[in-house]
Amino acid sequence: MAKLGEKLFNWFDERYNIRGFIEFMSHKSVPQHRHSIWYYFGGVSLFLFIIQVLTGILLLLYYRVGEDSSYESVQFIVSKVKFGWLIRSIHSWSANLMILAVFIHMFSVYFTKAYRKPRELTWVTGFLLLVLALTFGFSGYLLPWNELAFFATKVGTDIIGSIPWIGKDLLKIIRGGEDVTGATLARFFGLHVAILPGIFTVILFFHLLFIQIQGMSEPPEWEKLPPERRKYIPFFPNFLLRDLLLWLIILNILAVLAVFFPWELGKKADPFAPAPAGIKPEWYFLFMYQTLKLLPPKVLFLEGEFFGVLMFTVAGILWLLVPFWDVKTKNGYRNRLINLIGLFVLIYMLTMTILGYVLS
Amino acid sequence: MVRKIFLSLFFLSLISFAQNKDGCYNCHKDVVGDKPTALYSEDVHFKLGISCADCHGGDRTSDDMDVAMSKERGFIGVPKGDKIIDVCLRCHSNEETMKKFNSKVDVSQFKLFKASVHGKSEIATCVTCHGIHEIKRASDPRSPVYPTREIRLCSKCHSDANYMKRFNPGLPTDQFEKYKTSVHGQRILRGDIKVATCSDCHSAHDIFPANDPRSTVFASNLPTTCARCHSDASYMRGYKIPTDQYEKYVKSVHGRALLEKGDLSAPACNDCHGNHGAIPPGVKSISHVCGTCHALNAEMFSRSPHAPVFEAKKIPQCEVCHGYHLIEKPTDEMLGTNTKATCIKCHKEGDKGFEVARQMREMIDTLVVKINKAKEILYEAETKGMDVSDARYQMNDVPQILIKARTVIHTANLDEFKETINPGYEIISEVTRAGLEAIDEYYFRRWGLGASTLIITILVIALYLKIKQIERRK
Repeated sequence: MAKLGEKLFNWFDERYNIRGFIEFMSHKSVPQHRHSIWYYFGGVSLFLFIIQVLTGILLLLYYRVGEDSSYESVQFIVSKVKFGWLIRSIHSWSANLMILAVFIHMFSVYFTKAYRKPRELTWVTGFLLLVLALTFGFSGYLLPWNELAFFATKVGTDIIGSIPWIGKDLLKIIRGGEDVTGATLARFFGLHVAILPGIFTVILFFHLLFIQIQGMSEPPEWEKLPPERRKYIPFFPNFLLRDLLLWLIILNILAVLAVFFPWELGKKADPFAPAPAGIKPEWYFLFMYQTLKLLPPKVLFLEGEFFGVLMFTVAGILWLLVPFWDVKTKNGYRNRLINLIGLFVLIYMLTMTILGYVLS
Repeated sequence: MVRKIFLSLFFLSLISFAQNKDGCYNCHKDVVGDKPTALYSEDVHFKLGISCADCHGGDRTSDDMDVAMSKERGFIGVPKGDKIIDVCLRCHSNEETMKKFNSKVDVSQFKLFKASVHGKSEIATCVTCHGIHEIKRASDPRSPVYPTREIRLCSKCHSDANYMKRFNPGLPTDQFEKYKTSVHGQRILRGDIKVATCSDCHSAHDIFPANDPRSTVFASNLPTTCARCHSDASYMRGYKIPTDQYEKYVKSVHGRALLEKGDLSAPACNDCHGNHGAIPPGVKSISHVCGTCHALNAEMFSRSPHAPVFEAKKIPQCEVCHGYHLIEKPTDEMLGTNTKATCIKCHKEGDKGFEVARQMREMIDTLVVKINKAKEILYEAETKGMDVSDARYQMNDVPQILIKARTVIHTANLDEFKETINPGYEIISEVTRAGLEAIDEYYFRRWGLGASTLIITILVIALYLKIKQIERRK
């Protein structure tokens, strides 16, 4: 048996240089310090994305897009398909956990300044992946075509209409018409299962490639440490096994959430029904939604809502470009301003999210 | 008393003095000798000293005809159309004037009349019903509105199909003919003025169409209208009929539906007794009367073995089990062989009917128990977070089946009953199975979660130990 395994290994090694890959992997190391825990959230995000892909493919086997079939097919999945309820629940829960993991990953990279030279593009691709993950969430939320999703999408897309000059046309393009209809549903479905996965995979490939090429970022204070005081652990098997350990724990949490808190389907969307009270977007959009709600109708000479959208766009671009304007860290100096900005953003997001839940 | 006599004598002397001084009346009576003046001597107004000039205008004190009947003296001649009403209203809407004549006549008559169907359509004026120069008190048997004459007065228009077409082509014109067949009609033709005539039910001046909620014969007002006489024990004394019908009716399923819920499709007195031809339904016609609404029950009863027996023994059909004025919501208790069941009024243990009643009741009770059990199971499944919407949807058919089965008991046919109720049993057993499966699935998920969590936890521990081992080795 062992000989057969060896033969098989040699067969592959002869063709694909497996030994060389193992050699590379065994020399790959990960810095070990008091902030090492944050390294694992990239892996957790990746694991949850893999779960998203697998459960999404399974859901696709039964999901039928359309005003008359979306809700019914999801209802069929959760009530008739064997383990359909589990797959749908895991898909929904892991989507939320993935966005949470991506946010944690992003803030940990930000506060440990891991975006600094030479990892600017890793940060940029990571930020793009976050934007795509949010778009995944927004488009996927509508697909069950239930009441909450319908009105949340209506409210969410309405914001786009507040952009001057192009807002109305943009809204029409996104919705496939004046209102949220079956056309919107078809667009969001296409976006969710074809366009976004394609773009996401390409950007994810580059993000992972950059990490493989450059390795894990070391903390800035290590630059002053002598090499012998820097600790490393081998990527394979130590780091990978720790990653695996965390993934298993996450899998356990997911299973418990899916069984004890199955994702509800609610009532089917009825475009002619009045919007139910307390409609609000998913938690990861709530800080933006709450800000727009609290803004006065007019700020300076701009519409309040447009002002908010503009501010978030500018803030997003500045956040995306942080490795390029944070010159101090790039040149090896401590930059407290970056920490203060990050802390402000974090507290702002948390406060607005809590307010979003409390005030409604 | 002395004061009253004195007042009466005073009025009489005043009247005779006034009439002696009435130039219009004297001249028209003695010189012209026309019919109106001849009739007027018997008119209630003449007797109260009201002169021709009070209605026609002019100067009654002048002996010169040209002066007495001149426009300058206010002479209007024969009033026509609205002018007639104006003439009557001058006194009849004036409380002060009416008081002078010691009259108890209601001064709001015109207001009521103007709002009524007759007043609105300007079909009739005061004189149409009360006459012109021979107006009598309503209590005077010679008055056209006296009970024995009133029915003919109303029928003059209401029985004339050609005339009625002009105002309401849809309104029947056979009321008088039907009324003559009613107990009320037959009694009044014999001179009993205590029975109801047109104005007793429809009121006198404020008459509205029967579908107008203000009408005294509007469905929900009618029981009170009938009860005005029929619940008055002293008024009804001598007729030898009960006076508790209204009291019973308001407590009945029909009374509650009509008077409490405002369901106008529920029957009022007239729906069973007829309106103009009101008469208590005879033994043979009870099932037909009930059957006008409860058609299916009546049809089923008519082909039951009960129908010919009831007919032969002259037993009132529906009434035997359901009663009449105090008809309560039927319950399953009425069926079967227990003490509250109506079946045991006739059936004894050992006969076929007794056995059929027992089995029917047992099957209904069993289905009801199974329904409640199934509901509990579905509720439990739902509270466990399981989707049982399909089973809930299936359950919707069961109440309908139960209603049908409760109706089919009127056939007293056990085979037909079983055929109706059995689909209910099938649905309930499917629903129960679906509910139990959902509960099983819930526990399967919990156990599955437990098993998978345990496996993953073991893997986590094993992995943790492996990591420790590797790190220790290094």
